[in-house]
This record gives sequence, structure tokens and C-alpha cells, in this order.
Amino acid sequence: MNVLPCSINTLKGLYDISGVEVGQHFYWQIGGFQVHAQVLITSWVVIAILLGSATIAVRNPQTIPTAGQNFFEYVLEFIRDLSKTQIGEEYGPWVPFIGTMFLFIFVSNWSGALLPWKIIELPHGELAAPTNDINTTVALALPTSVAYFYAGLSKKGLGYFAKYIQPTPILLPINILEDFTKPLSLSFRLFGNILADELVVVVLVSLVPSVVPIPVMFLGLFTSGIQALIFATLAAAYIGESMEGHH
Amino acid sequence: MANMIMASSKALITASSFPTASTTKPRLQLSQLSHPKIKISEHQHRQIVSLSSSLKSTAAIAAAFFAVAPPSFAAEIEKAALFDFNLTLPAIMAEFLLLMFALDKIYFTPLGKFMDERDAAIKEKLNSVKDTSGEVKQLEEQAAAIMKAARAEISAALNQMKKETTFEVEQKLAEGRKKVEAELAEALANLEKQKEETIKSLDSQIAALSDEIVKKVLPI
Repeated sequence: MNVLPCSINTLKGLYDISGVEVGQHFYWQIGGFQVHAQVLITSWVVIAILLGSATIAVRNPQTIPTAGQNFFEYVLEFIRDLSKTQIGEEYGPWVPFIGTMFLFIFVSNWSGALLPWKIIELPHGELAAPTNDINTTVALALPTSVAYFYAGLSKKGLGYFAKYIQPTPILLPINILEDFTKPLSLSFRLFGNILADELVVVVLVSLVPSVVPIPVMFLGLFTSGIQALIFATLAAAYIGESMEGHH
Repeated sequence: MANMIMASSKALITASSFPTASTTKPRLQLSQLSHPKIKISEHQHRQIVSLSSSLKSTAAIAAAFFAVAPPSFAAEIEKAALFDFNLTLPAIMAEFLLLMFALDKIYFTPLGKFMDERDAAIKEKLNSVKDTSGEVKQLEEQAAAIMKAARAEISAALNQMKKETTFEVEQKLAEGRKKVEAELAEALANLEKQKEETIKSLDSQIAALSDEIVKKVLPI
């Protein structure tokens, strides 16, 4: 019987070390509503990184670019190429939307993986990638839905709704369902990937620290980058699909 | 995840022996842990009684242990809020739109325009290089035409000069010839005269000579 208190002590000890705080949020009250402050704080940091680096690199553009300007030109060309491939010739007005989507998600994910957020201790919950919260990913998926609706309506007017009975009217319920599954899948794909990766890394670190979590961290960097690309590509693909010409 | 497991197990133990009046969050109400309700035989009943008593003591020890811990432990255990939608959603949406406009003004539009202008300038330079080769051909043709014209001029002038000089030369030749003929005629005339004179003198001499000859030849 002396074994039991001992094991309960170690259980409590383990619980203290493995402080996995999933679903614990740092709440702020704004008006009558609550916000997840940890998401807002990290998103402000991401925005500051994006705006700051863009401002610094792009002032005084030279014909033969400097290293920073070259990098940003590469990123812009990449985004333009992505938009052009998915949307077609009229891709110009959509570059800021797709570009911001890609950059925000990419920098959010990598900031969650690379920046040492644990240094800053919050009263409740912890700082991590802003995209590990369902609010963020849905907040990114809904404007995508609005965007592809807007693209279709502005290009084709009310004829846009003819696409619901293409290629055959039997597919009407499926086409309507698509309008709900598209933002759902976008948001959940990103949310699930980022949250799960964070969880795996944290659990591994709490169980087997030192070198073992490192390959998983690299995998996390890789997949989070891919997820940003996928989100942006799908957004562009939906927009392009809505703007597709008459068959 | 581990927290949720821990939370659920802790709720189990605290619910049975540490009812909290402060929190309104729902608690797991399992209380069969210490009172298994199974119909069994005497022997097994005794075993189960001993088991349940050991379980009871475990629960008592655990409860006692956690009872020692401050009540804040119980208050910390909250439901894991993964699908917690609140004002964060529109806040992030607004932030994203602001970021889009700001990034467009700072980065996408200026750098995009700069890159497009640079591309257009390079294309123009390439095209202009191709055009000058055509211009060069034109200039070459012009030069050839000028050379031909110049050569024609030169040959025409040359012919003209040739004609004039030959004309002059012939003129001078004719003059010279005339002079020479005149002198020749004079010289011939002189000769004729001399011949005449000589013949005349000879005639007289011949007469004298013949007289002498006769004198000499004919005896006196």
C-alpha cells in the first residue's frame, strides 16, 4: 500500500512537467465579448514582421537588386506565378489578396514553430502560432468564399448562378454543398495541421526531450509551409474557377 | 490532451470527496468507483469487499492528498476549448483585410510596378539593338550608292579630259607636220635651184671642156 502514494506523487510531478495546455486560452473582455488574446498578440507580431520587412526591403528599388529586394522580388514573382496559373490572364487584381493570404499563413506558421514564444509567460494559456486557433482559420476561409463569389458575380453577373447546374442539373445539391464544404475544408485543414503539429512537438518534448523532437520540428516546418501554399493555391483556384470563361 | 485526461481523472476524484460550490462548470458524477453493484457469491463477495476497501483507501488517500492542495487546483480545471468561436474571428478578419491593403500599398504595387518597368525597359533595349542592324544595312547601301555615283563622275571627267588632250595633241601634230612639209618643200626647192645652177655651170664648163678636148685632140 505504500506504492500508491508514491505513484500519485510521480503522476503529479509528471503533470507539472508536461504542461500541455491545449485549448486553454488567455481571455480578454472587449465590450460584451471575449477574445483569445494570445491569438491577437501573435497575429500582431506576424503583421509587424511582414510590414516591417517589406518596408525596409522595398525602399529605393535598384535596377540591379540588393539581397533583400531580390528576395522580395522572388516572393512577388512566386505569388504572381501562382495567381496566373490558377486564375488566368486577369490575375492582376487578385495578387494582393492571394499574396497576403500566403504570406500571413506562412509567417504565422513558421513563427509558431521558430520563435521562442514560451519565454513570454501568459497568466493563462500560452503563445503559439495564431493559426492554431479555429477562429483564425475560419477568419481566413470566409473571405476566400466571399472573394470567389465576388469574382464570379462581378465577371458574369447573375449568369454566375448558371454554374450550379453545370454540367447536369442532377449535380445541383452537390454544387450547393460545395459552397459550404469549400470554406469548411480550407479552415479545418489548416487548423488541424497546425494544431496537431504543435501538439506532437510539445508532447514529444515533454516525454523525450533533447534531440528526438527535432526531426518532427523539421517536418512541422515543411508541412506548415506546404499548408500555406495549399491554402493560397486553393483560394486562387476557387477564384479562377468562378471566373472561368463560357464553355 | 494530457491535461484533459488529467482533468477528467481529477474531476472524478474531487467530485466524490470534495464538492466545490464555487464553480458552475459541470462535473463528472461517477460515484460507482467505491460502490460496485454486482450480484456475486460469498467468496467473491469477500474478495470484492477487500478490493473495494483497498479501492476506498486509495480513493481516500488520493482525496486526502488533493484535499491538501489549494482549492485553486479545482478551479483551474476547465473544459478544453478547441472550438471556441468568439470576437477573435471578426478581429482576425479585420486584421487580415487591413494587412492586405497595407501590404498592397507598401509592397505589391510599388515593387510590382518597378519590376514591370524594368522588364519593359530591357525588352525595349533588346528590340532597339535588333533595329540598328537594319539601319546599318541602309547606311551601307547609301554608301555604296554614293561610291558608284562618285566613280561615274570621275570616269566621265576622265573621258572628257582625255578627249580634250588628244584633240590638242592632234592639233599640235598637224602644225608640226605642216612646218616640216614647208621646210621640206623649201629644201627641195633649194636643191632644185642648186641643181639648176650646177647644171648651168656644168654646161658652161662642159662647153669649155669640150673646146679644150677638141683643141687637144685635133692636130693643129
